[in-house]
Amino acid sequence: MDLPEFRAGLDAWLDEHEPELRMEAGPDVAFDQEIEHLSKVKRTTYDAGWMRRGWPERVGGLGGSTLLRAYLGEALASRDLIEPGIYSMTEVLAPTMIEFAPAGLAAEMVPRLLRGDETWCQGFSEPGSGSDLGSLACRARRDGGSWHVIGQKVWTSLAQYAHRCVLLVRTGTPESGSRGITALFVDMDSPGVTVRPIRAMHGRDEFCEVFFDDVRVPLERTLGEAGGGWAVAMDLLPYERSTSLWHRGAYLRQRLGRLLASVPDGTIDPGDLGAVAQLAFALHARSRGTQHRMERGERLGPETSVDKVLLATTEQAVFDLVADAVPAAVAVGGDAAAGRWRTEFLYSRAATVYGGSAEIQRGIIARRLLGLGAER
Amino acid sequence: MMDTGTAELLGESLEAAFRNETAAAVEASLAEVGWREALDEEGIAVVPLLFGRQGMANAVSGALDDLLTTALGLPAGPDTAFVLPEFGSCGPPGRIHDGALTVRGLGTVRTAGAAHAVVLAAGPDGALRAVTVETGKLQARPIGGVDPRLGLTAMEGQGLTASQGTASQGTAPQGTGIAAAAWEGALASGRLALAHELSGASRTMLRLACEHAVTRVQFGSPIGAFQAVRHRLAESLVAVESTEAAAGAAIEEGGEVSALAAGMAKALAGRNARTVARHCQQVLAGVGFTDEHDFHRYFRRVLTLDGLLGDSRTLTRELGERLLRDRRLPPPPPL
Repeated sequence: MDLPEFRAGLDAWLDEHEPELRMEAGPDVAFDQEIEHLSKVKRTTYDAGWMRRGWPERVGGLGGSTLLRAYLGEALASRDLIEPGIYSMTEVLAPTMIEFAPAGLAAEMVPRLLRGDETWCQGFSEPGSGSDLGSLACRARRDGGSWHVIGQKVWTSLAQYAHRCVLLVRTGTPESGSRGITALFVDMDSPGVTVRPIRAMHGRDEFCEVFFDDVRVPLERTLGEAGGGWAVAMDLLPYERSTSLWHRGAYLRQRLGRLLASVPDGTIDPGDLGAVAQLAFALHARSRGTQHRMERGERLGPETSVDKVLLATTEQAVFDLVADAVPAAVAVGGDAAAGRWRTEFLYSRAATVYGGSAEIQRGIIARRLLGLGAER
Repeated sequence: MMDTGTAELLGESLEAAFRNETAAAVEASLAEVGWREALDEEGIAVVPLLFGRQGMANAVSGALDDLLTTALGLPAGPDTAFVLPEFGSCGPPGRIHDGALTVRGLGTVRTAGAAHAVVLAAGPDGALRAVTVETGKLQARPIGGVDPRLGLTAMEGQGLTASQGTASQGTAPQGTGIAAAAWEGALASGRLALAHELSGASRTMLRLACEHAVTRVQFGSPIGAFQAVRHRLAESLVAVESTEAAAGAAIEEGGEVSALAAGMAKALAGRNARTVARHCQQVLAGVGFTDEHDFHRYFRRVLTLDGLLGDSRTLTRELGERLLRDRRLPPPPPL
């Protein structure tokens, strides 16, 4: 199935099924319900076949271009049926499994993620290792047929709902840096795993702390080579800046369109609006190019940091415009629409932090794309 | 669509053409390369190739004249200049009243050596006509301004009878009627070209600043090792890349230029070029402030190009006003 055929079929299907996939938004909708709703959207679209397109058959997919996945998320976000931050985690985790997990494990597990039967999380950051990921300290010791994991992760999105975790651990010496890291696929119901959600500024328990107290992980759950975890992480990060980013761009356009359709006359400065629309257009154009490069099988690399900087800039510009256009809604509004603008405005402040901060992205651009050498 | 090999070859020839010192020599080389023929045959795909390189080289030519003349369906050539709207404006530079033509516009570097100039003029009813006049009948005053090397002239003429136009000899005393959509299409092509020229100039500013950052040593390190410097240059690359992405997306599948997208690309290009100039000049510091260093030539160029065929600020505000009227975002190019 090619993209035009997929697009036409999906659009018609969504026209019919949109009412059952819609969910109420606002301050009264608990995060639990959002997660529940996401599972429903994934299950419904999987069972109808849409979610399986663009994924290899060996992991429950129906094959076809990665553009189909990009379009599915775009269509769902444009119709306000998903929040891409939680929807698009699949786009990061499933490719990692396909590339690095033993074939049997990927074939068993990936369909559960695609179908929304399970939620997965990504255990990377630690209290002492944020931007400096190579310094991570959560340790795994090999003992016979298994790893024993001891340590802590933080900022782990959706850990409280997660059945599995793609976890980075230190298996080399404490000084081994990026060479001594291994990636594991961990069952979150293993004995010794404790999850503590963190209430974030925007009112959601978006992230968690996760503690590992001598957690046993079978050796067959190693992703890639022992000591090869850095390659897994580096491979995964550009995905975060390709399909996921495309979905988020579609979502931002949808929110900007919503603002435009709903604000009273005279509340938006035309110059500000024009500038934000241009940013959104440039982001769309840039990310579109990235989707097509990925579809052609090109290896994505440091150039996707440009996409990420553009996304973060655009996201904050969109919600800065919201805060200027409907300041009362953001500051003191009590209805569901106002609550949603407030939550989204607050969350947009994290756009230059999550998924590699703006500073890290600029560092990558300087070293890898501009050839400025190492930073002092 | 042009294949990659052809595009590369054409790009190399254009690059060589822009290494000429004078505008006349550039024009001669462009004629030799066959740029007008390439434009006829390959269409808009040659515009990014040419104007990006012209911007990178800080070169001047009559290519914009050719592009706008061709876009209006008139014969282009080295002897035909195109009178641009006044700086900061995008309205027709000519007015026709009682059969007489009044001109107030900008002449390009080609004007001085060309026998004819195409003037787009609005009649009392707003209908547009392209009138080809003898350049000698217009007063051309060189504009020094911030970028004298660009060779712009203030073009004026009053009481010209439109029949002086060469295209009008014979049956069409008022020149050629131009549909509003045709002028919008020409503007779109011109804006696309200028967006690429601005991005080319931005690329060179960034290259100059990066070269400086890896060679200039302070506190025992090349200054490019310091985060404050690195982030300015990274931000500049993001700016250039976003201009180029937008300009690339302004060309639709069938080779048509989207007027809306070309306006956005031009506005982004103007704004982003200023961002790049600000960061790069700061990195270049003292040396970037000298006449000897090339930086200022590019800075002067982008300040001037921003004002041609609608400046960034005006285009951005007009876009916002349009969106507020429509109350919806235009659909972006599909995946």
